[in-house]
Amino acid sequence: MAAATGAPPLTPGTEEPKPPRRRGRLTPYWLLLPGLLWLVVFFALPMIYQASTSVQTGSLEDGYKVTWHFVTYWDALAEYWPQFLRSVLYAAAATVLCLLLGYPLAYLIAFRAGRWRNLIMILVIAPFFTSFLIRTLAWKTILADSGPVVGALNTLHVLDVTSWLGWTAGDRVLATPLAVVCGLTYNFLPFMILPLYTSLERIDGRLHEAAGDLYAKPSTTFRKVTFPLSMPGVVSGTLLTFIPAAGDYVNSELLGSTDTRMIGNVIQTQFLRILDYPTAAALSFILMATILFMVTFYIRRSGTEDLV
Amino acid sequence: MTTSNDGGGDVRLTGISKTYGSFTAVHPLDLTVPQGSFFALLGASGCGKTTTLRMIAGLEEPSGGSVHLGDQEVTHLPPYKRPVNTVFQSYALFPHLDIFENVAFGLRRRGIKSVKKQVESMLELVQLGEQARKKPHQLSGGQQQRVAVARALINHPKVLLLDEPLGALDLKLRRQMQLELKRIQTEVGITFVHVTHDQEEAMTMADTVAVMNAGRVEQLGSPSDLYENPTTTFVANFLGTSNLIEAEVDTRSGEDIVLRAGGGKLVLPGSRCSAPTTAGGKVLVGVRPEKISLAHADEAGAVPEGRNRITGRIADSSFIGVSTQYVIDSPVCPEFEVYAQNIDRDARLVPGAEVVLHWNPAHTFGLDAAQAIDAGTGADEAAA
Repeated sequence: MAAATGAPPLTPGTEEPKPPRRRGRLTPYWLLLPGLLWLVVFFALPMIYQASTSVQTGSLEDGYKVTWHFVTYWDALAEYWPQFLRSVLYAAAATVLCLLLGYPLAYLIAFRAGRWRNLIMILVIAPFFTSFLIRTLAWKTILADSGPVVGALNTLHVLDVTSWLGWTAGDRVLATPLAVVCGLTYNFLPFMILPLYTSLERIDGRLHEAAGDLYAKPSTTFRKVTFPLSMPGVVSGTLLTFIPAAGDYVNSELLGSTDTRMIGNVIQTQFLRILDYPTAAALSFILMATILFMVTFYIRRSGTEDLV
Repeated sequence: MTTSNDGGGDVRLTGISKTYGSFTAVHPLDLTVPQGSFFALLGASGCGKTTTLRMIAGLEEPSGGSVHLGDQEVTHLPPYKRPVNTVFQSYALFPHLDIFENVAFGLRRRGIKSVKKQVESMLELVQLGEQARKKPHQLSGGQQQRVAVARALINHPKVLLLDEPLGALDLKLRRQMQLELKRIQTEVGITFVHVTHDQEEAMTMADTVAVMNAGRVEQLGSPSDLYENPTTTFVANFLGTSNLIEAEVDTRSGEDIVLRAGGGKLVLPGSRCSAPTTAGGKVLVGVRPEKISLAHADEAGAVPEGRNRITGRIADSSFIGVSTQYVIDSPVCPEFEVYAQNIDRDARLVPGAEVVLHWNPAHTFGLDAAQAIDAGTGADEAAA
């Protein structure tokens, strides 16, 4: 009783407290602003500029004008479709390889590594401490004609098989499709492993026990429980690998030859050597549209939207 | 306890134990769960009850001993080869499968036909027919719990293992599910082994309860047997409340033992004493709070002869509707609890009043005084 009457009375006469929402309502926009500005300046504006470039005609000497010359797109596609196809094939091959190499490793880190988990994670990320370019150059040495890798593959007659398949040429690995795909796989592997690990690690271990309890062999448990639940990781891992790999030109430049040119190499040459800006811009847009289309189709098909 | 003749569905644990490094989770344990019974493993967290359950399920490899299901030894069989199913503590429903597929999981793995019919009738049994195409996260806790039970039961296991299956539910739902599980068990007649830390849950549901403490079974019996005849202080305190009095053995008169406590004498039936009784030795005398009658000190003369009696002063009383719970400060026991039915309330029984406590000697039980008197009260649990 005493406590109740001793409580401080509500201060009389003060006006109704204003709902403290007024300022809070703008907060999301303030938070959005820096990122939005960044995107406008470094993404939206260049995109518009590129779009306009792609429909310009003219020459370096006379200057370029927007003439809505959409034929550039058609010409570019007609001339460079083999490189487009090659880019998609190489990127797809690298993505599949990344998945095959990365899934077991991510699984190991998530479920079996125990106290080695952090160390293995660091080893996965470690290559990022060195420049992309230098790492790719290192592969040149690894795959050198007189190097141990090629020597071993030759001795084991592996190169006979790959040459027959058209992946390598003679007793060389460097300057062949195999070298480019290997480089792509190597460079994008961490982008596959990290999302895979994240989604595997989130799986409740008791679900494995429950599956075992319900008569699922370990292999069935993987097929019916673990793998379906890791689909979000598989999807984001493959996207993070496929998209940059399809547009990459460094691996083809350093490890490939003129026969392995990808669309990235074409765009780079058009922009920086031939200085045909409209064609280069058109190719960029075609690449973007292709990837966007494929990704949309892929996400729809994999049906991961409603996965946790 | 009834034992089936063929031993077809009995769970037999023989000297089973589990150690983790230097820590012993379960000391060598012998236990037989008869076919068709509802068996509860009761104990505080960390007492080894879940580990024992997991060893039956095959989710934990025993460090020693063997597990038999009927005549089949399953000690080293992986879980997927055991005719046993588990209802997990947090249900462990597959989040990517709908309710129907969750329940069908075990049938599909064993390549059984007529999945649809069986799943539908099982979902009817647990009253979830309408929810078949929902995902687990769209259901309430109680519904998820029923899915977990259905998912396990549909396989007609020899034994259904339940690992604290009601722990995540609120009190009201828990009561409801206890009755539900009991109903299902009676209906399907499968052996249930239920792990719980809730003594009320164990007592209301199980035919037989094994009280576990520190990796050992303290006592095993029917709920009423455990309650009326505890043989250790842990069981006496963990199951309900017991008043324990330290007493000294005086004489034996026929079947009864006469003890001295404080200034008075108490009588204990010899058959209800689990401790050795040599004259002059110590014994812990126990009596349940609801067995005791309370009389005001002025009425002491009216207490019938032949009843155990002690005196004290009411320290506290709380009215809880059906009964009033008194805490009595007595020379032989500092916090003696008495639950009195609210039939004829004596207005003089208020804190501070001098009272006489008396009870039928047949309700007295005797325990070995070498044990900690407060084992299982929760006071020792908090310290552990």
